Amino acid sequence: MIERIALVATRELRAERRQPDGVVAAVTFIAVLVLLESLVVGPQIARDADVASALFWLALAFATILATMRSFDRELEDDALEGLVALPGGRDALFGGKVLSLAIVLVLVAAIGGLLSLLLLDLPVALPLHLVVVVLLGVLALPPIVVVDVVLALRLRARAALVPILALPVLVPQLVAATRGTSAAITGDAVGALSWAGLLFAFAVVYTVIGLTIVPAAIE
Amino acid sequence: MTETTIPRGNTLPRIRPWLGIAAAASFVVASAMALFWAPTDAVQGDVYRILYVHVPWTKNPLFDAMAVASAEIGVLFTGLFLVAGSIWAKPTWGVWWTWEPRLVTTAIMFVMYVGYLLLRGLSTDFSRRATRAAVFGIVAVIDVPIVHLSVLWANSLHQLPTVLRVAGSPALDTPMLVTLMVSLGAYTLIYAYFMSARVSLELARQGRLWTRT
Repeated sequence: MIERIALVATRELRAERRQPDGVVAAVTFIAVLVLLESLVVGPQIARDADVASALFWLALAFATILATMRSFDRELEDDALEGLVALPGGRDALFGGKVLSLAIVLVLVAAIGGLLSLLLLDLPVALPLHLVVVVLLGVLALPPIVVVDVVLALRLRARAALVPILALPVLVPQLVAATRGTSAAITGDAVGALSWAGLLFAFAVVYTVIGLTIVPAAIE
Repeated sequence: MTETTIPRGNTLPRIRPWLGIAAAASFVVASAMALFWAPTDAVQGDVYRILYVHVPWTKNPLFDAMAVASAEIGVLFTGLFLVAGSIWAKPTWGVWWTWEPRLVTTAIMFVMYVGYLLLRGLSTDFSRRATRAAVFGIVAVIDVPIVHLSVLWANSLHQLPTVLRVAGSPALDTPMLVTLMVSLGAYTLIYAYFMSARVSLELARQGRLWTRT
């Protein structure tokens, strides 16, 4: 199973390297939102740790949706989904591989988007290592739910609108935990940052297990 | 809609009149108890009486993931719960809405169930629609314990549980508690009545679909 998941993830990452439109779109989206935030609410409010963290994670949630939809669009354009699903254990591998590859892509997106936010907003970070831990675990907590919802909305009309409607309400606990954890790391609350990071890890494990259990039934 | 389209062995239409009578009778009893028998609260006055409809409406989303019938009634009851909560909050807290964790989580749950119905509505194939809805229902139902626990996790404006308390007996006067339980029972029967009617309708609709194919 792990080998098949790694195989799908590798294939996915190769496709992303050859045609990195998912990463480019996600990073651009975050950059535009950070710029807009500073212009709309003013640089003083935008530099507030809670506001900056909230906007970063909202942008990352949308970026996850964008990257996941782009990833499945690529499968549909190449008629690759049917072949993959027909392989033994293909459905589990498809979910696991997509989650793994998206997590890796999102680490890159979060690193570029996060550094951009810190530079543009001139935000001092009190606990950089804690911030890295929170961001890594937060990035792991997002893809399982988004992949589930993109699979459910696959081949449906109006799915570009449907996926955010399905995914964002379910992502609320993760977004709250990630925002609070990031804010705690920026302001120097080590215990708070690690507590929220633990919750993010729990969410990532729970939703990955749920996804591996139920998503194979939903893949057509 | 005729009964002839309902598959044989379906007992729902036969028990529905009795369920309707039981729901109506218990609703009248619960309303009378809530309005006349239960005493006035020492702090909140008569405005607290809305809890006899506000609390029972919260029960039904627990069954929401089962089927479209339950989802639709869940949306209705959760919507009414939020409206009744606002009516209670204005004189008690001084605001119609506050960003209190339990309220927000309930509103999010409401949006999830609307999303569930949207997902069903956009799927045209019957079996795929059922599978998709079931999978999303499982994901959405995880939110239900979060709704219940959020009041315990967060130190917030919403009052702590008064009936299912971690320590000790319910913090309610006996007539208030009895009235609340009767109201809860009445709204559960109303829910069951709606459910049986909607399930029969859905079965009849599916029966027509199968006949066509």
